[in-house]
Amino acid sequence: MADSRCMNPVWPCAMTGAVAALAGFPDLCVIIHGSSGCYYYPRSFLKVPLFSTYLLESEIVFGTIDRLREVVTEVASTGKPIAVVNTCVPALIGEDLKTAFSDVSAIFVDAPGFCGNAEEGTKRAIAAVAPAVSDTRIGINIDGINLLDLFWCGNLRETERLLGLLGLSVAVRFCCDTYKNLRSGAAPFTVSANSSYPSGVGTNLGSLLFLDIPKTVEGLVGVFPVTNCDAVLAEWKRAEEHMYYSCDKYLRKYNPPIVVVAAQESYAVFAKMMMERYFGSDVPIVFARDHGADGVPYSANSVEINAAIAAAEPDLIIGSTFEAATYRRAAFFGITPPDRSRISITARPLAGIEGGAVLIEGALNALMNRQKGN
Amino acid sequence: MSWRILPESIYESRMAGCALGGALSVACFIPGAVAVVHAPEGCVHQAFSMLHAMINDSDVWIVPEILVSSFGDREVIFGGEDCLSAALDRAAVESPDLIIVVTSCIPETIGDDCGAVCARHLYADRILYVPASGFLGGSAKDGENAVLTALATRSPVAKSVFGTVALIGEKNLEFEADLNYAEVERLLAKLGLRVTVRFCRNGNYATLMQLGSSQCFVLRDERVAAAGKVFGERFGRPVIPEFPRGLSGCFLFLCDVGKACNVPEEKITAAMESETAYQNAMLAKFAGLSGRSVFLGAEPFSGTCAVAREAITRLSMEERSDGFPIRLPFYLPIGTAGVEKMLSLWRGATNHG
Repeated sequence: MADSRCMNPVWPCAMTGAVAALAGFPDLCVIIHGSSGCYYYPRSFLKVPLFSTYLLESEIVFGTIDRLREVVTEVASTGKPIAVVNTCVPALIGEDLKTAFSDVSAIFVDAPGFCGNAEEGTKRAIAAVAPAVSDTRIGINIDGINLLDLFWCGNLRETERLLGLLGLSVAVRFCCDTYKNLRSGAAPFTVSANSSYPSGVGTNLGSLLFLDIPKTVEGLVGVFPVTNCDAVLAEWKRAEEHMYYSCDKYLRKYNPPIVVVAAQESYAVFAKMMMERYFGSDVPIVFARDHGADGVPYSANSVEINAAIAAAEPDLIIGSTFEAATYRRAAFFGITPPDRSRISITARPLAGIEGGAVLIEGALNALMNRQKGN
Repeated sequence: MSWRILPESIYESRMAGCALGGALSVACFIPGAVAVVHAPEGCVHQAFSMLHAMINDSDVWIVPEILVSSFGDREVIFGGEDCLSAALDRAAVESPDLIIVVTSCIPETIGDDCGAVCARHLYADRILYVPASGFLGGSAKDGENAVLTALATRSPVAKSVFGTVALIGEKNLEFEADLNYAEVERLLAKLGLRVTVRFCRNGNYATLMQLGSSQCFVLRDERVAAAGKVFGERFGRPVIPEFPRGLSGCFLFLCDVGKACNVPEEKITAAMESETAYQNAMLAKFAGLSGRSVFLGAEPFSGTCAVAREAITRLSMEERSDGFPIRLPFYLPIGTAGVEKMLSLWRGATNHG
C-alpha cells in the first residue's frame, strides 16, 4: 500500500472550500455546523461574516439538532437565505439534520473535512446552490472565483473588464455575486478565471489565464458572433511584447532562472508555461495541491514538496510561503495561499492580460531583488 | 454586520477553540520531537497554517513538522487504527526523541483505540499519547494542559538546583511570547535566578526532562493552572501562578519568586529598589502624557484595564468618559516592558490620533 501519510498538509479541507464558495454570496448567511475549532480557520482566512453552531461535546452525545435549530432560527430572523455547512463529527453521528430547518428555507451542504480537499467542498457547495441554466439569460457566466484564491478579487475585475471589451455582459459570477442574482438563473456559457474551481454550470468556453486568452476569445467569437475581439487581442499582443522585452533585458545579464512551482493545478501549469515561454526557464519541479495532471504530480505534503525544491536548488519559487520558508536562498513570488511575504491590500489579478503581466513582473522583481542581494 | 447584532448565546466554552489546536501549540515547539496527529489532513492544515503565520510574524523561519494520519472516507467506514499505525511507522523512521500522538474528534467518535495502537508499537517507549479528541476533549486550553501534564509525568523527580526556575505554558502563538520571556528573565536576574527550562518552548526533550530539578515553577497565567497543580504535587515545588502583571505585578513577582527560591530577604529588597528606579526611568520617557485625559473603553483581555489604570495613576494622567479614546493592547501587558509598549501606543495615539 502506498504511504499516504502526510507531513504538514498545505491545503484546506472540504468544509473550508464549501464555506469559501458560499461566502462569496454576501446576501447568503453561512452557518458552520461544528465546533469553534472548525470555525476559526475559515473565519480568519476569508475575513467575511460567518455563523457557527460552536458545538460542544454534550451536543454530540445528546444530538445536535436542537442546537442547529436554535442558530438557524436566530439567523433566519435577518430575513436572508441560509446555507448550513456540515463538519466531520455531525456528519458521522447520522442525524437527519434537515429536520432542524424544516420551517426555514435553507440549503444544506454536507462537506465534512474527511471527504476531501477544498475543491471537493467547493464542488459540493456549488452543486447545492447552482441555478438552472436558462437559454434566455443574457450574458456569460464567470467561474473560478473563490475567496480562498489570493487573486479572486483582481481576477473577477479583470475578467469582467475583458468581457466588457468584448461587448459581453456578465450573467452569474461563481462564486462572488449576490444570491439573488444567482437564483435568477445562469447563462448557457461560462468562462473561467481559475479552472481549479470549476462551477460545472453551462458550457465552458475556456480559461482567461493569459496564454489561453487567444483561443478562448476565438471560442467566444464563435458563440457570440457580434463580439468584437480586436481590442482584446491587440492588448494581449502588446502585453506579450512588453513581457518579452522585459525578460530579454533580464536575460542579457543573467542566466534563465531555474524555477519550481507548487500551487493549484491550474495556476501551477500556467506559471510553468509562462516561465518557460518568457524566461526560457528550466522548471524541473511542479507540484499541484488539488489534483495531478499531465506532468504535474499531486502533493499536499509540505515536507515532500520542500525536499524536492531543495534538491532542485531553484533561483525562483512560485508558490506559497510554505515553500519559501524552507528554501530562503531562492527568490519568491506567491501565487497560492498563504503568501506571508508581503502585505496585500490591492486587488491584483493572476487571470487575464493584467494577470499575465502581474506574474512576469512579480517574477522579474523577485529575481532582480535576489540578484541585488535584497 | 449581522453577526454583530445577533444575540448569539455564546458561552466561553463554545468559543474556546478545540483541544487539538491547543495541544499542537505546545507539541510543535519541542525540537527533536515529532507530532503525529490522527485526523484528516484539513485539521492539521489549520494548525500548520496558524504556526506558519506565527513563525512568520516572529521572523523565525523554522517550520515544525506535523505528521498526519490522513483520515479519510475509508477510515471513517473501516476504522482508522491502521492508518495511525502507519503514521507511527513513518514517524519512527527519523528516530525522533519523542513522538507525541494527538487525536482529533473523528477517531474519538468512531471509537478507534488509539492508546492500544500506541502501546503495541515498536517505538512505544518514546510515544507520548495525548487523547486530545478535538473539540470532544474540550477547548484549546484543555489541549495545552493535557500535553504539558503528559510530558511532566515523564520527567523524573530530582533534587532541586538552587537558583533555577522553570517557565510553564508560555503562549507559543502569542506575538509577544519572546518579549514576555525577556521581561521575566530580566526580573529573575535581579534575584540571581535563571531560567533553565521553558516548558515547552524550543527546548529539546532532554532539556524538558530536567523540569524536576527546578527550584520553582512560574506559570504563564491561569490558563495552565490545571497543569501547574499537577506539577506542584508531582515535584513538591512552589508554583507562581502567572507572569508579572504590569508595574506593581513586578514587585509582587520579585517577592513571590524570591521567597519560593529561598533568596535572602535583603536581596529581594535590593531587587525591588532596583526595579523601582528602572520603572521611574521608563515612566520619565512618557512624562509628556502627564495631565492628559484618556478613555479606556472596552477591556479586551481580563486584567488589562487594571494595568492601564495603574499606569494612568503613576503618570498623573486622568481617566474620564470624555477623555481621548485610546485602544488597550489585546494581551495583558507583562511587566515594565509590557507597560512601556502600551504607553508607546498611547503616546502615538494621543499625539497623532
